[in-house]
Amino acid sequence: MNVTRRDLFRTVGSASAAAVATGVTASLPLAAAERTAPDDALGLLYDATVCIGCKACVAACTAANHLEPDTALSGGIWQMPTDLNAQTKNIIQLYRSPDGAEASFMKRQCMQCVDPACASGCPFSALHKGKFGIVEWDGSRCIGCRFCEISCPFDVPRFEWAKFNPRIVKCELCRDRLGDGLQPACTEVCPVSAVIFGKREELLREAHRRIDANPGKYYQNRVYGEQDLGGTQVIYLSHVPFAKLGLPEVGTESRAHYGEKVHSAVYKGMAVPAIVYAGLAFIMRRRFNVHEEEARHAAHHDRPDQL
Amino acid sequence: MKTARWNYAVPVHRPLLSAPFLFFSALAVVALALSAKRLFGGLAFTGMNDDFAIGVWKTFNVMTLTALGSSALAVGMTTWIFNQRQLHVVMRTALSSSILFYGTGMFALGFDVGRPWNFYHVILPWHWNPHSALLEVSVCMTAYVAIFLLYENLPAVLPERWFLRIKPIYPYMVAAAFLLPAMHQSSLGSLMVLAGTKVHPLWQTQMLPAFYLIQAVVCGFASLILILMIACLVWRRPLDLTILATLARFMAWSSIVFVVLRYADTILRGRIGLAFQPTWYAFLFNAENLFVLVPALVLLREPLRRSPRVLFVASAATALGGLVYRFSPTTLAFRYGRASIYFPSIGELLMCVGYIGLAVALFIVAARRFAILPDRLPD
Repeated sequence: MNVTRRDLFRTVGSASAAAVATGVTASLPLAAAERTAPDDALGLLYDATVCIGCKACVAACTAANHLEPDTALSGGIWQMPTDLNAQTKNIIQLYRSPDGAEASFMKRQCMQCVDPACASGCPFSALHKGKFGIVEWDGSRCIGCRFCEISCPFDVPRFEWAKFNPRIVKCELCRDRLGDGLQPACTEVCPVSAVIFGKREELLREAHRRIDANPGKYYQNRVYGEQDLGGTQVIYLSHVPFAKLGLPEVGTESRAHYGEKVHSAVYKGMAVPAIVYAGLAFIMRRRFNVHEEEARHAAHHDRPDQL
Repeated sequence: MKTARWNYAVPVHRPLLSAPFLFFSALAVVALALSAKRLFGGLAFTGMNDDFAIGVWKTFNVMTLTALGSSALAVGMTTWIFNQRQLHVVMRTALSSSILFYGTGMFALGFDVGRPWNFYHVILPWHWNPHSALLEVSVCMTAYVAIFLLYENLPAVLPERWFLRIKPIYPYMVAAAFLLPAMHQSSLGSLMVLAGTKVHPLWQTQMLPAFYLIQAVVCGFASLILILMIACLVWRRPLDLTILATLARFMAWSSIVFVVLRYADTILRGRIGLAFQPTWYAFLFNAENLFVLVPALVLLREPLRRSPRVLFVASAATALGGLVYRFSPTTLAFRYGRASIYFPSIGELLMCVGYIGLAVALFIVAARRFAILPDRLPD
């Protein structure tokens, strides 16, 4: 009897191991499918060769988003943010090479990734891809864990550290203005159209038109965000290397895709956990029955069995 | 130092008010007072910022210390699944220390998150994001502590006739109590996979979930050995070197698996060169591995395993190596090459240490009140 059971256990054990292996192998290609931009994806095109650094977009952004201007650096006089922060969703920064020969302005805000890492890691989808592919933040779902700040490859989301009910602050492409038929505040006020707003596909066409019309003007004749990190809906043209502007040059795989690979394979349909649980429960029941049997025949009946 | 075969868990009959108990309680009181204060304000008093958005409460109290709280998983599976029945006598110590490590860690988490009142979504599955490793941790860890680990601890605290009513489900509850920590301990590693290139390439690997889990097993054995030895020495109980040596043997082999896999993974990823450069990261990487590997090689020898001194030092070194490994991806090897660093503020540190003090103080109370620590009863 015992031997038969053991054989059974061995068979079940190897069968479940095989099933686990098959499950993992089978689900890997499925997990490997990359997300693509929705057809109606909206975005921005920022051309660093055009920007004059007037920062009108910074002020307009703060006003449109009802944020308190960050005036800390100027002693409360002018809006002078040094980085994206809980009061600043959009910023113009200056890059200058050490010898001063090379310089460029850089506009930073949420990149509206095609496959955003922040949304991938967000436990209750407070951050999620919404209408027009905009990465939206829903305060009713956010637990304030700040995992989005850990995962974002562009260091965009900011947290209201000093607040009792802190929000995650980041550009949402003025999605409330879009509903009113307006365009984002930054593109509306830009006096030289260094940043323009439109459908991602059209912006990509426009970017390539500029590259074709000016061969050699743009770095690597390339549009940053077309492929980078799975693609972004905010795309860049620049005459200086993108890395100098703080745009990470880390390939075309999205961070979300890299991060989900193993996790999604293991948890696909909860098949692997279910099989492992079945195996564990099967063995536990056998062991527990033996334990109970032995406890009944224990030498000390005055000492209850201790689990 | 006496040695004997442990055969039964017995409460510690000593007065509660002792210097260590008062010390750890004081730490806990400070932490609880600061936590209450934190409830009425933000997190600006911490050392965290937008570059280093997670601090010691998450990275140490939860992501690191729950490895020490994994004895319920490591020793439990060895006892039941691998049928090492002689280890039953130490299971209560493993279970109570685990629930205290986990419980205080999750308590810390409640003050770390900015909007804890939104955590109710954890019981609404249609609000879950299945791609998120953090969702997996939130759901799994909560269910584990609140249901399965709690259930496993009930035999020690409930009158026997009460527990008899819920005893029939024991094997199914314990099976879940093995599956769930295996899931969330590995998912803790998955969290940092999503941080991508922000984590130094010696640590950033798709194997992070596997390494976090194996290290939980290693640290689970190490922490139980240390807790048993310290408790028995402090409260003048005999040590059962046969049991401790068995735990050490399992710890040693899981340590070896960890180190071999880690070097193999680093070689396969083509990053091993980084481990032999004169950098702080190379030093840290090798130190983590050697602190786990050297004790393991020592403990493979039977006579050395049975020496309490060797056993204690080796387990402490293993736990240290394991804890540093679990701490590195989130903190020591995170955002490498940046000028800015994260260092916790005094208040943050006092809370971090105080939650540990709370766990120790509660363990002292539990060991006195309930039959948790093993002893030798006459046959």
